[in-house]
Amino acid sequence: MLEAKKINKNPYMPEKARIVRKYDLTEDVRFFQIRIINPDLVLPLTSSYKPGQFMMLSIPNVGEAPFSITSTPSRPGVFEFCIRKVGKLTTKLFELKENSVVWLRGPFGNGFPVEQMVGKDLLFVAGGLGVAPLRSLLLYALDNRELFGKIFYLHGARTPKDMLFREEFFRLKERDDFECYLSVDSDPLGVWPFDIGVVTDLFKYVKVNAANTAAVVCGPPVMYKFVVNKFLELGVPDNQIFMTLERKMKCGMGKCGQCVVGHKYVCVDGPVFTLWDVKNIRGLI
Amino acid sequence: MKPKIGIYGLTGCAGDQLNILNCEDELLKLFDIFEIKSFVMASRAADESVELDVAFVEGSVSTAKDLEDLLAIRKKSKILVAIGHCAIYGGVQAMFMEKEEWIERYQKVYGKQDAVTLTAPLEPKPLSAYVKVDAALPGCPIEKEPFLKLAGMLIHGVVPKNPDYPVCAECRWKENECLLLKGEICLGPLTNSGCGAICPSHNTGCIGCWGPIAEENYAAEIKLLIDKGYDLDAVIKRFSIFGGTERAEKLRKFLEKEGRK
Amino acid sequence: MRVLKLKKGDFVLFLKSLKRFGELWGPVKKGDSYVYARAEPENFDLKAIRTIIPAKKFFLPKKSTILKFKNGEWREHQEVVNRVIFGLHPCEIHALNIYHKFYSRLYPDTYYLKNREANLIIGLSCIPDDKCFCANTRTSVVDEGFDLFLTDLGDKFLVWIGSPKGETAIRHVGHLFETVTAEDIEDYITWRKERDEAFQLKIPLEGMPEIVSFSYESSIWDVMGEACLSCGTCTMVCPTCTCFDIQDEYDIKAEEMNRERLWYSCVYREYSMVAGGHNFREARSERLKLWYTHKLVGFMSKYGSPACVGCGRCIVSCPVEINILTVVKALKKEKTGAFWERMEVKNA
Repeated sequence: MLEAKKINKNPYMPEKARIVRKYDLTEDVRFFQIRIINPDLVLPLTSSYKPGQFMMLSIPNVGEAPFSITSTPSRPGVFEFCIRKVGKLTTKLFELKENSVVWLRGPFGNGFPVEQMVGKDLLFVAGGLGVAPLRSLLLYALDNRELFGKIFYLHGARTPKDMLFREEFFRLKERDDFECYLSVDSDPLGVWPFDIGVVTDLFKYVKVNAANTAAVVCGPPVMYKFVVNKFLELGVPDNQIFMTLERKMKCGMGKCGQCVVGHKYVCVDGPVFTLWDVKNIRGLI
Repeated sequence: MKPKIGIYGLTGCAGDQLNILNCEDELLKLFDIFEIKSFVMASRAADESVELDVAFVEGSVSTAKDLEDLLAIRKKSKILVAIGHCAIYGGVQAMFMEKEEWIERYQKVYGKQDAVTLTAPLEPKPLSAYVKVDAALPGCPIEKEPFLKLAGMLIHGVVPKNPDYPVCAECRWKENECLLLKGEICLGPLTNSGCGAICPSHNTGCIGCWGPIAEENYAAEIKLLIDKGYDLDAVIKRFSIFGGTERAEKLRKFLEKEGRK
Repeated sequence: MRVLKLKKGDFVLFLKSLKRFGELWGPVKKGDSYVYARAEPENFDLKAIRTIIPAKKFFLPKKSTILKFKNGEWREHQEVVNRVIFGLHPCEIHALNIYHKFYSRLYPDTYYLKNREANLIIGLSCIPDDKCFCANTRTSVVDEGFDLFLTDLGDKFLVWIGSPKGETAIRHVGHLFETVTAEDIEDYITWRKERDEAFQLKIPLEGMPEIVSFSYESSIWDVMGEACLSCGTCTMVCPTCTCFDIQDEYDIKAEEMNRERLWYSCVYREYSMVAGGHNFREARSERLKLWYTHKLVGFMSKYGSPACVGCGRCIVSCPVEINILTVVKALKKEKTGAFWERMEVKNA
């Protein structure tokens, strides 16, 4: 006889939330701070997720889609997202004013294995919108600074105006308990005070104990190969190289199948994968 | 403020507009939700002077007057929705796929070019040949349910996209036997869903009246039908009726590649 | 498991007695095929092999509203129908067991679980036809996942009682059931031997996970991709396919929004397409590869068995003959004679 299962809460039911703050990071990328309305859920939900997890955000009549959480559970109260206007849902989301209601489900996904990273040096490489999940992990690491070894954060953008969270990183650069390097591919207006070139050029600043380093990359697909090669040159082992992937998802819970790759559901087995996974599961990137 | 809409017809049978009028139970609701500025088929009182939030346009562009009207509609409308096969694909009138120039064909039928004097004729084409089309509602004619769903999305400020799967999906949901397997010409795999697989449900092969889906594997189906003993010309004829201008072009290339005609 | 005997002549009477559990559904003829339909038990076809659409439709409906949104609030929506579903063969029950594992693990799907609770499942033995190969998938015998299971021995049924609900079902009409005799057991053994020897089709799946993996770059997928019509039939008729899509639809008349869940297919173009238009599986061959990799490799590594129960539906359903039989043959470098292979020869 099959095991009888208790019928619990409906996992498709979204939770009401409000946009409490929003501003443009670039022309087509906007920062959203969203607060769950039910006061009993605010703390439990916003303090217990893992960096690298995502939420399903929906607007009735328009649809639901997955978005990386860019805030850190070490600063609970709100969920933050950094969202590019690309489709039907995001177009509508960009039309919403502050205090508008949106709906959230989650958090979902495996997130970064933070517990495995404790005691290790951390090396981040972010490009474009890839900063979204990495910012979560970076802020988490900075808020729990004593848990980690050296921290290097490398961030590339096309031009100065395309750099997401530019001002925030300018401020973070001034901290002396970690190293933050920012670069742009080109600087048409001649205003950029830091490195100009591709993000991999910033590896010249990196001094980590490679065998004991967790290296994390997120960015446009073309970036992965080059960055991963740099990690490998440094000597970071395959299973300590982490990347987070994007796929179409309708449920976020390993059911709808639309994110499936081989035998992995990106929504529950990912979105964070190691280089070892990527080498062994064909079709992952 | 209610969204202002206009419902227009170019060259076509007006069946799509008629089916909007046929939304009897929901019609009052529609009038309630939208401010209808122009719907000549329903009322002569049309106000063409105002900007529109949404224009629904039926029919193909087949005359100079059609084109002039279409450009004017596009200019004053935020969202332009092509409704029905003619507007999206060009309709049956755009099925012709011989190499002959259009003017030669026209003269074959109507004699000298100036035989029709009301307005200058053009080769029938879908709206997208001339203007940007924001959304499309396929059908020949359009069906009430998909139209109401589309209207429902529009009032929420969303420009909808049609499901990108073929009639076969709905046909399997209806638990029909596959007509292709029974050796009939059925265009289900190549055709936009939304009709509820109405023809196959009555044991009649799909004729493709909702137009080709984005990724139609017409070549494989033609070869499959020939494998089943059909005559290539007969298959091509069936494929071109509701194929529209784009498929006509594809079929021409296919025949060239296969070394026919 | 307790086994009782039911006379053939009492079968209709017995099924009618089950109406108190819900609507009666079972296999009835449609054209040259069968479908699960609501009918009186006299109309159920005891010789039906496979229905066009499997019994998964009762547990994950083809299209259903899961949530409704009105006046700024969501509410759960589900039309739970109590049913007695008769005539599920062992392969079909194995497929439902796969469904159960899949939908009840990790974030249990409440809709599925409620549907499962609302249905009484009555299995039925069968004699395989030339498209059945459940002996190869080891799904020809079933010992869980049903409430009652009937083995048809001609003038009588042996009835396996698989759950307390099944026990309750027969208790009310206990007088129809008899104890199994030594003769009944002999008849069963004879029937079983005949059944096991009746398999004509053999699709050995041993080694498939490795063979599929080794064939990942094989051009055979491109050949099939050329012929695939992307009609989605294979996924709709497959009893272990679980994928779905979710869409919002506004109902103008009711002034409410419905969040709809509907069957979806990995062979459709937009299956792996993200906002902005990037498609992770642009080529049809990539999508077919996903389907077979998922069935024969992926599921294997997660659940220890392939997600194929040998029902033969894909074999009778694919218009261009891309199915488990021809794919396995092709990957083992055998000629298949399938349309997609012939088409390739003609193209070359």
